[in-house]
Amino acid sequence: MKQVAEGSQAVSEAVRLAKVQVIAAYPITPQTHIVEELSEYCANGTLNARFICVESEHSAMAALIGAASSGVRTFTATSSHGLAYMHELLHWASGARLPIVMTNVNRALGPGWNIWLDQTDSLSQRDTGWIQLYCEDSQDALDTTLIAYRLAESVNLPVMVVLDAFFLSHTYEPVDIPDQETVNTFLPPLSPRFQIDTANPAAFNQFVSPQAYMEMRYNIQTAMQRVPGNYNEIAQDFKAIFGRDPRLAEDVHCDDAEIIFVTAGTTVSTCRQAVDRLRQAGEKAGLLKLKMFRPFPVDFFRQVLNGKQKVAVVDRNCSFGASGIFAQELRAALYNAEAPPEIFGYIAGLGGRDVTPETIEDIYWQTKRADRLQTENIWIGLDQETLKTWRN
Amino acid sequence: MTDNKTPHHKIPLFLPHSSTSTAANKTGSWRYVRPVYDEKTSPCSAACPAGEDIARIEMLLSRTLIQEACETILEENPFPAVCGRVCFHNCEGACNRGQMDDPVAIQQLERFIGDAAISKTEIPQIKTLPGNGKKVAIAGSGPAGLGAAYFLARLGFACEVFEAASEPGGILRWGIPTYRLPRGVLQKEIRRIKELGVTLNCSAPVNAEMLKTFKNRYDAVFIGCGHGRAIDLQFEGAQKAINGLQFLHNIRARHEMSLNSKRTAAVIGGGNTAIDVARTLIRLGIDPIIVYRRRRQDMPAFDPELQMALDEGVTLKELLTPIAIKGAGRDPAGRQTPYLVTLQKMKVSAMQIEGRARVIPDGDQTETLEIDYIFSAIGAEPEAVWHQAPTGKSSSLNLSHCKLIKDDIPIAYGGDLTNRVKSVADAVASGKQAAIALDTYFKYGWDAVNKAVAGCQVGSGPAVSMAMYLDDDRKNRNPQIVSFNEINTHYFKSASRASVTVLPPGDRIQTFLPVESTLTPEAAVEESQRCFNCGICNACDYCRLYCPEMSVMVEDERRHINLDYCKGCGLCVAECPRNAMALKEENI
Repeated sequence: MKQVAEGSQAVSEAVRLAKVQVIAAYPITPQTHIVEELSEYCANGTLNARFICVESEHSAMAALIGAASSGVRTFTATSSHGLAYMHELLHWASGARLPIVMTNVNRALGPGWNIWLDQTDSLSQRDTGWIQLYCEDSQDALDTTLIAYRLAESVNLPVMVVLDAFFLSHTYEPVDIPDQETVNTFLPPLSPRFQIDTANPAAFNQFVSPQAYMEMRYNIQTAMQRVPGNYNEIAQDFKAIFGRDPRLAEDVHCDDAEIIFVTAGTTVSTCRQAVDRLRQAGEKAGLLKLKMFRPFPVDFFRQVLNGKQKVAVVDRNCSFGASGIFAQELRAALYNAEAPPEIFGYIAGLGGRDVTPETIEDIYWQTKRADRLQTENIWIGLDQETLKTWRN
Repeated sequence: MTDNKTPHHKIPLFLPHSSTSTAANKTGSWRYVRPVYDEKTSPCSAACPAGEDIARIEMLLSRTLIQEACETILEENPFPAVCGRVCFHNCEGACNRGQMDDPVAIQQLERFIGDAAISKTEIPQIKTLPGNGKKVAIAGSGPAGLGAAYFLARLGFACEVFEAASEPGGILRWGIPTYRLPRGVLQKEIRRIKELGVTLNCSAPVNAEMLKTFKNRYDAVFIGCGHGRAIDLQFEGAQKAINGLQFLHNIRARHEMSLNSKRTAAVIGGGNTAIDVARTLIRLGIDPIIVYRRRRQDMPAFDPELQMALDEGVTLKELLTPIAIKGAGRDPAGRQTPYLVTLQKMKVSAMQIEGRARVIPDGDQTETLEIDYIFSAIGAEPEAVWHQAPTGKSSSLNLSHCKLIKDDIPIAYGGDLTNRVKSVADAVASGKQAAIALDTYFKYGWDAVNKAVAGCQVGSGPAVSMAMYLDDDRKNRNPQIVSFNEINTHYFKSASRASVTVLPPGDRIQTFLPVESTLTPEAAVEESQRCFNCGICNACDYCRLYCPEMSVMVEDERRHINLDYCKGCGLCVAECPRNAMALKEENI
């Protein structure tokens, strides 16, 4: 049934429908609405789950690691500094092969204290062994969260579902919230492949010598490589049951496109609009929606972008000293392609600054005018007056 | 659509996971500090002159083990129901709980336990040693003499008590008014002492001649005759004042008193006797004024008692001292006229004596008081010379609560005769200390006494413990007194102190019935649960709960650390709510 819901609410509804059993969370803007709603569901019995109040995000993840080790379905949500604080335990959760699902609402890191959109928080956790899925709108957030549980449990790896601060987390739009019975047909109860069991005492995650550590890491890498394939199968199930197609990456008008945008999150929606306008103006613009960032769907990108002329990546993040992180990943993925396109990396909309259809069109024209790549690091919309004050 | 019930091409998981026991990994080898159960001394028990094991008493009561709680008191004090009423409870002033909200109502709990014991037919189990064939004569049956008899009898001595009055109890029987201590309560606690085999001879005063004959019939003597003679006022007309102690005695003996009600009385003095006299007078319908030469804060009287007196309508006049009493003749109609008391005004000088302000006459300023009766309560002293230890004896031992001399036989002096603080609990303490001293003397000789007494000190204070003397576990406690900042207060919630029903002042001055009620069993148990049980293990098991190595073992209800696996992290010690553990460095 469609109802108008906030992006945060779309996530909490999905968590309810996934019949999560343990939630541990610490509040942080702009994530708070998600767990606020869930705490109420736990309190009023709508959701038969244990809500563990903790004193930090580090403890929240630690609590989930314990809960997931005992074989139950778990959830948490965080943002920005909270995610950074969890960092150590993100590695632990993936190394322990626990199918934990977490929502991260992308928010800028301080200082320059800022609560608005910036993707650097989640992207700087890219090497922790978590699957990362980025959402475009509220429906996408709900659907992706449900898929995340199937996906996590299929490979025993944790999944981070990522939403843009405010543009998604706090925006109301119509969302189709499925009924429990339908969700049950898509998402069966968790059947853990291992769990703490007093009848079979065992030690988990203990000391490992150099003789075995590397094989364990290879086992994680192997599982990660299975993710795109598993995702596609799960997405097919999802489409059959719910009628929507949440593809791991979506190409829009790419076949004949001369310039193809690659971006993630709510910027995808903005790009859709800009591409439509450019097409109406006779420009051959295309769009690739990046939904899955980890594992990076290299095969998909090579297939779609091989032989194309120019790609414009819009990054709402920056790896200082390198470039936008999506651009960086895409360059690495396409380096060994037969005929890689030129990749233009644009950094825009950090710390909640607007990226409008006009911004996207500006990027299109800049890309079109450039004969060849001048720099891998083009910053959009910098205020020249401000820059003058510190240029000396 | 694929079948979502089947796993997606699952690859084998390769995880750090083992069903082999980790017992082979003796993590104890990592340790450089070790936790130990190190029971310490609670501040209340060190503040109690009788050295009662209060932390343990409240722990037992909190589990409704009332009989065991009573037995724990009786280890150290034969008078819980008495002391639960009349003791000045230094324990509560020392109580760590007082720094969090209010001190535990220790005295009320003692009263509850004492009353529960005397109202039951079951006899508490008191640890006693078999008879040792020695006989002791005890002069005086006040709290010191009866205390000595009680502890000596438990150590195996045959005790014979000589009391001048017609009933035993000394100050408890004759000096303390019944609204504070009813006769029945005292009688029942004295009966318990008799049941230990103590012989009580009443109307049997000892004199100096008799004392000389004791050496032929007894192996030792304890003298606890108290301060029987009131100190006389020394000024013009002072002989007109009535002896306050004698007055209290007469009231308790139900002697006919030729006092008329609706008259006024001045009570000279600032001690507990002055308060008792004034409160007795107001119950007889007389309007009393306490006249004290210093200020309220300097009074040796116990302040809550004074407050009760003031509530009842007693007047306090401070910084005044009588210098003359005149008058009290008869008027032409034959009616008695009041006395005229001249009072010298006093002022506080800069100097202090033993912490009390020194007062000096304020020039020659005086005031006059018209009053019907005058009572003197400025203190008391020993009644006879032989009540005090002779000086100059080569073999004498001055202990904190008694004095021991070696004549033909050892003679111990205790109670008010030797105590710095004149209180019931201190008197009991002197009887106990004398018993320990005499027992040690007969077993190990004169030179062993000091060490034996020091060996059963509670904390490093003057109180001695019979349980420790009898080699109870309590002997192993660390003398260190637990302070409030060593209590892990996270484990305790604020809770209000139990209160008892107190008769309103208007009602209580109509009667000599007790002013306060005893706590109900429910209220007493709840109040005992407020106790931190400072320094002692109450089996709360937080050490065991928090131990990451599961190294806290419980065997026969006692806890010990499995050192094969204890890494010395110290969590158990940090979590112990009551500082019953310690970390000790390993000798590497």
